[in-house]
Amino acid sequence: MTTPLRRRQVLGLGLAGLGTAVVGPLLWDRLQRSAARAQPAGAARLASRGGVADLELVAQATRGSLPGGPAELLTYNGRSPGPLLEVNAGDRVRLRLRNELRQPTNLHFHGLHIPPTGTADNVFLSVPPGGSFDYEFTLAKDHPAGLFYVHPHQHGLSADQVFGGLSSALVVRGDLDRIPEVAAAKETVLVLKDFASASGQEAAMGVGRMLGREGPLLTVNGAINPGLAIPSGGLLRLRLLNASNARMYRLALEGHSLVLIATDGGAIATPEPLDELLLAPGERADVLVQGNQTPGSYRLLNLPYQRSGHMGMAAAEDAPRTLATLSYAGTVPPLPLPKALIPVPALPKPERTRRFVMAHAMGTGMGGMKHDMGAMGGGGMAMGGMGMGFQINGQAFEPDRIDTRVALGSTEDWLIVNDDVMDHPFHLHVNPFQVISRAGRPESQRRWKDTVLVKAGEEVRIRVTFRDFPGRTVYHCHNLDHEDLGLMGVLQIE
Amino acid sequence: MPVTSYRSASCGCCKGWVQHMRANGFAVRDVVVADVAVIKRRLGVPARLASCHTAEVAGFALEGHVPAADVKRLLQKRPPLAGLALPGMPLGSPGMESAYGKEAFTVMAFTRTGAISSFSQHAK
Repeated sequence: MTTPLRRRQVLGLGLAGLGTAVVGPLLWDRLQRSAARAQPAGAARLASRGGVADLELVAQATRGSLPGGPAELLTYNGRSPGPLLEVNAGDRVRLRLRNELRQPTNLHFHGLHIPPTGTADNVFLSVPPGGSFDYEFTLAKDHPAGLFYVHPHQHGLSADQVFGGLSSALVVRGDLDRIPEVAAAKETVLVLKDFASASGQEAAMGVGRMLGREGPLLTVNGAINPGLAIPSGGLLRLRLLNASNARMYRLALEGHSLVLIATDGGAIATPEPLDELLLAPGERADVLVQGNQTPGSYRLLNLPYQRSGHMGMAAAEDAPRTLATLSYAGTVPPLPLPKALIPVPALPKPERTRRFVMAHAMGTGMGGMKHDMGAMGGGGMAMGGMGMGFQINGQAFEPDRIDTRVALGSTEDWLIVNDDVMDHPFHLHVNPFQVISRAGRPESQRRWKDTVLVKAGEEVRIRVTFRDFPGRTVYHCHNLDHEDLGLMGVLQIE
Repeated sequence: MPVTSYRSASCGCCKGWVQHMRANGFAVRDVVVADVAVIKRRLGVPARLASCHTAEVAGFALEGHVPAADVKRLLQKRPPLAGLALPGMPLGSPGMESAYGKEAFTVMAFTRTGAISSFSQHAK
């Protein structure tokens, strides 16, 4: 079933500097591939043709290097981030995942509205080392256009695999792309991802699994501080994906507004200029940048963010860091911003409200892990069970236990309560939701979301209609270390 | 030796550390406060070493899930330090025992002037 890899060439890395590639173009491994596959090995972009996307992702460990020494990175088709996948609403998608890792893996089609069962967004299946699986599903003709996210969802290993480098951005073309002002903009997908240093010492200094691992190396599409170009008068459409394990991005572009046009699940109704944009792990946003300033260079910055309440934990950085640099090049007749995008209809009145309380605690359940309790040791075990981990409503994740049953077609409000000392981005699979209020304050504009940041001590009310697809799926914290440490529940739609 | 521990009401792991210290012979006063950051500032805990709870023993600050054995060594030697800190909340440290695994961690020492050094290393 599997074809051995031939690793001919993996280049080392230079140290940080403008446009220094870290893991993108440099980490490319030539794969020996079957002739039946149309896409060239190691391509940066894989797209559908004639209504069919025939894709392959090979998950593998790839030798490379990071500042500080050699490192083993996890890649799709020899790349981190993996190839950009591009499909159209209405397409048939066939995606073969080949697992060349030494551990099981699988895929989650984060944000797509497809079945949670069978060969679609089924996170309960597992592809063993050396195995492969053919994912296959059809996107609805009216599936919203947007930026989605393909990544592993193997419980207990999700954080290791995503933090190690496994992710691909998935673009669905459709409604939003046909708006003339949007179509006229130059488009760039930016995958935001931090990597551990070669020594991995930061984990020993406190930013470990309980807070969620962050790395000191910030990359955009696998490069440190890449250049972005905009002509004077032009319009740039930045499509941003936070593919990090736990790091928050508080983005600002010097001298420019970020004009929000789409959130996780697609277009918003009216463009919204922002001074800064906060993206939690798993969140996406499309912003337009107008080339209307004095020609020159402007830094895309990641501003400091404190994600552990008032306590000072995980205060990894106290100064802005440069992610990319925008430079003016050339001139075009001024392109206008769109005035209106795509209406976001109000969802029906909710039939019921549920409450989900997230926290870390000493657990009493088994949490779906069959560990030898004797290995735990220590006084904390007097409390029994799993020991320290994360819980929703007092229970750690258990794959065989259904936590929430909802009726297909119904609408519910979910009150997501963070009773913890650190932030938790809450993610729901399969069905997009709308945020109704945060910390009691109503949202200014309806937006389609699938991941929402719930800050330490805060409450967020979301509204969701469970449309089209029955089956079993999950909701969880998208700080993936937290997910692996139990902060996930099972949802049955029936 | 009396220890005073300060924690927020919502934190799910601080009590486990208090139990660990009591099991190792310390008399611990467990105090719930609205804002632990005030205590951290008063005791001079460097921000980058922060954890959840903060404690005081014999004029030293103890930040986070510092093992009792390290505290005993601190009290025996009485070095010129402001205190010890175990940054973050490492899995497997006292009060953080977990079937999900253990992490290696380093207990750090800090001085009144904010100088930071390694005090003890704990393997996985």
